[in-house]
Amino acid sequence: MPDGRLNGFLNRFADVRAAETRAAVYLFGLFFLTTFSFYIIKPVKENFLIGVTPAWWPYADLATALLIGFVVALNTRLLNRLPRRAYMTGTILFFVASLLVFWYIFDTSQQLLARTPVIHHSAIIGVIPFQVIVRNIWPVPVLVFCFFSSVFIAMSVTQFWIAVNDTLDPYQAKRMVGLFVSGGLLGGIAGSLMTSLLVRVIGPENLLLVCPGILVAALAAVHLVYGEQKKLRGESEQGAATARARVGYLESFAAVRRNRYLLLLAGLLASSMVAGSLVNYQFMAVVKSLYESDAARTAFLGTFFTGILVLSAVLHMAATQRILKNFGIRLALLSAPVFLLLVSLSVFALPAGLLMAWAIAVRGGDKVFDNTVSQSVRELLYIPVAEDIKYKGKMFIDMFVNKFAVGLGAGLFLLLYHVSHFAYKPAVTQVREVGFLVIGFLVLWIALIGVVYGLYPSVLKRDLSRKWRDGDKVIEESIDVDRTRQVFETLQSRERSTTLYIMNIFDLLRKDSLSPELKELLGFKRDELRARSMDCLFDVGGEVFFQGFEEAIADKDFEAEVRKVFASDDYKAVMGMRLPAMAASGSEIERMEAAKLLGMMEPTPEVMGTLKALLQDPSPEVATYALAGAAGHRRPEHLPLILRLLDSPLTRQEAQAALTAYGPAAGEPVLKDILLDRSASMDVRRAVPEVLARYATPKSVDILLGALARREEELEPEIVDALYKVRAGRPEAPIFKARKVKPEVLYLIKRGYEIFLDEVFPAVGQAGSGAGAALDLKIKRIFDLLTLIHPADDIVKAYQNILQGTRKSVDYSLELLDNILDRDLKAALFPLIEDLPAADRAVRLRKELRSLARLAGGRG
Amino acid sequence: MTITTRDTDGAVILDISGEIRRSENMGTTLHHQVKSHLDRGKRHILLNLEKVEFIDSFGVGEILASYISTQNLGGKFKLFNISKKLLLIFQITMLTKVLEIYDDEDCALRSLESA
Repeated sequence: MPDGRLNGFLNRFADVRAAETRAAVYLFGLFFLTTFSFYIIKPVKENFLIGVTPAWWPYADLATALLIGFVVALNTRLLNRLPRRAYMTGTILFFVASLLVFWYIFDTSQQLLARTPVIHHSAIIGVIPFQVIVRNIWPVPVLVFCFFSSVFIAMSVTQFWIAVNDTLDPYQAKRMVGLFVSGGLLGGIAGSLMTSLLVRVIGPENLLLVCPGILVAALAAVHLVYGEQKKLRGESEQGAATARARVGYLESFAAVRRNRYLLLLAGLLASSMVAGSLVNYQFMAVVKSLYESDAARTAFLGTFFTGILVLSAVLHMAATQRILKNFGIRLALLSAPVFLLLVSLSVFALPAGLLMAWAIAVRGGDKVFDNTVSQSVRELLYIPVAEDIKYKGKMFIDMFVNKFAVGLGAGLFLLLYHVSHFAYKPAVTQVREVGFLVIGFLVLWIALIGVVYGLYPSVLKRDLSRKWRDGDKVIEESIDVDRTRQVFETLQSRERSTTLYIMNIFDLLRKDSLSPELKELLGFKRDELRARSMDCLFDVGGEVFFQGFEEAIADKDFEAEVRKVFASDDYKAVMGMRLPAMAASGSEIERMEAAKLLGMMEPTPEVMGTLKALLQDPSPEVATYALAGAAGHRRPEHLPLILRLLDSPLTRQEAQAALTAYGPAAGEPVLKDILLDRSASMDVRRAVPEVLARYATPKSVDILLGALARREEELEPEIVDALYKVRAGRPEAPIFKARKVKPEVLYLIKRGYEIFLDEVFPAVGQAGSGAGAALDLKIKRIFDLLTLIHPADDIVKAYQNILQGTRKSVDYSLELLDNILDRDLKAALFPLIEDLPAADRAVRLRKELRSLARLAGGRG
Repeated sequence: MTITTRDTDGAVILDISGEIRRSENMGTTLHHQVKSHLDRGKRHILLNLEKVEFIDSFGVGEILASYISTQNLGGKFKLFNISKKLLLIFQITMLTKVLEIYDDEDCALRSLESA
């Protein structure tokens, strides 16, 4: 099948990109073949084990628990010393050879049981002594074979995930994990089905001869996978992958011991394994009580495994991804222990006749969850762990902790077997007594899920840092903007008018905001008073205007004196007559002086009237001074004039400052009207959200959200920016309602889709297209809005790392968002922000667009 | 005030001549120009102040607004070729705590590469 069609086929089951197609197929095949062979070995092993006295059962698990450490150590050494392909080839050939030896032993054993001729057909020399040895040491070969099968599955599965890690990055692996699990399930079905069909024809031991052939095919798959590694990860990353593998056993243990999250994860997995191990003993006790012949038992086990694997495959394909997507990791994690707890509790009220059905339900449930949801989630839980620690920790947990847990389960069963005299009790009593232990470990499992899940987001966030800080915050923390602007204003006024200059100095000194350096900077020489040159304007280190000026002007008594003058009736009468003339003066300087003065004077009708006139002055310089005056007096009649001054960029900032000074009670109603008035000047309307952001009241937020819901594209940047500022200023305040914000986020995402499909995608490959920039800004606004209804810092970190982070931090960011956002937002946002080829993104967006349009609604 | 724009590999350079002040402003403002570059996907803006003689309170507001807009998009906004006198005022008013100021264009561009 050509790669394109194959990719299309794979995409029905998982998100596989074109370049990843072959690697995905080979990894799928490798896992298929691995589980194929294992599910032939497994029923054979279980049959032989159930066939021996139950008192021997736990020794198989105990042997695994005690000896697996040595295998791990050996495996680690091999991993460190051998090139990856040689290591994989060597271990697979070892398994092939071992299977042939076990076949020989079990075949000999079966010949003995059948009382066949003394001379064994498969050997000429030493046959009789070998038969004697097998008879004398039985059931040790069964226990050794159980240990071998544990080593086989542990090493094969670990090797498979090592191959995945070597070939794919974590996010690729996450996308395709479902596909690989499907491969494993299908392989298991094929293996167990073959077992149940062939066992009555060829006998259990001869099934082992099928496995070497399958493993040789797996070996070919390994070489194909590593052939793809070069294409996907490049030479440098291959080196990194090999370097990561050089880890010692003790180092792996230390990595888990030092990392609280990994420790808890190990505890969680161990409790689940102990419970699973005990459930397995319950199942074996029931099977032993009902099946006596090897062939019938193996056939039943083959059918049982086929059944649970088919169920696993169906559940996996139909529900695993859906459960993860819709309910998240926590519910996915809880599904298995909660189900098992309910079934385990039911055994105490169960009639003996239904025992087999119960056993199938409890062990089947355990295995089905283990093969589907639990397996997928377990892999996801490792995502937030740093790469090197993950590698070490995963190896230790997979190859040691799990087996140790099985050993613990075995030890507990052995203890109970002897203490409670299981040999003399019916299966139903054995099952119920073991059930108490099972319930205890299930409760522990559930409790640890709570702890691990609580820790998961914080572990994810640990490696995410902000790439940059908000500009507003940086400025707010570093400088006093008002004072800085006033200093520049004062410097400028020195050029223009002594009166203005003195009044500005007076303002600055009143606010006690002049450092010695500033005083020196603002000082001037008498002979430069009227100097026009810019050199003079910026001359520093001049003398003060007159001795004692600064002290006098900063003196509180002096300020009181000035106020008295402003308050005196004579002054008001004189200035009342003079002000209209000043406001009408042809000199811009004189009008500026008047405007400045009006801000300091008491609010008489004449003062307010003149201020009103100066707010309409054609000179932006005069209007700016008038705005400062209006901000001081805060008269309602000036509001319409101030709003008009929002129109010009030359007076906008001062008009916004004046409106801010009016406060929300006076400002919000007029600002709401103008913001919602489609006939008003767009520049004025665009300037309004900034003022509402400064008010930051719930009502201002409502006004902004109401305006956003009208979906006027031209206002969107300013409104979103204002809402983000409110959130940044009040990160914990519950002033945003998700039901109001979420539709707008979805609408922005929908617009992002449209921009991509209509502008970005058609222009792919064309230089100089600005469509990408428009999409970038839209995405920025989407994230800004997301901060309103989610932890702002997490959203900002995720956005910044997706934009400028390393590949790893991008993965963590996406995973963090996966945990924070609800399913609608995730489903809508991810196709827009994930790293996808343009064509793939276009397909995904077209697919999602209709449902997104429905979710976003339409009011605009 | 006049602004001419140059595109380099990593940044947009705005060469400003005249005075950044309210009364000198004709048509588009500095912040408006910076925003239009940001809207087109440019993220690093360098301001060449070699020919700037004076900045008033309006000019400071424009520079700070440009800094905020650039910074909020993860970009860099830097100044170079600023006169000694203007630099002194920037230092005294602590604007240098926020704005990165370089001696010349090469230094400013190099600072972007190393960021």
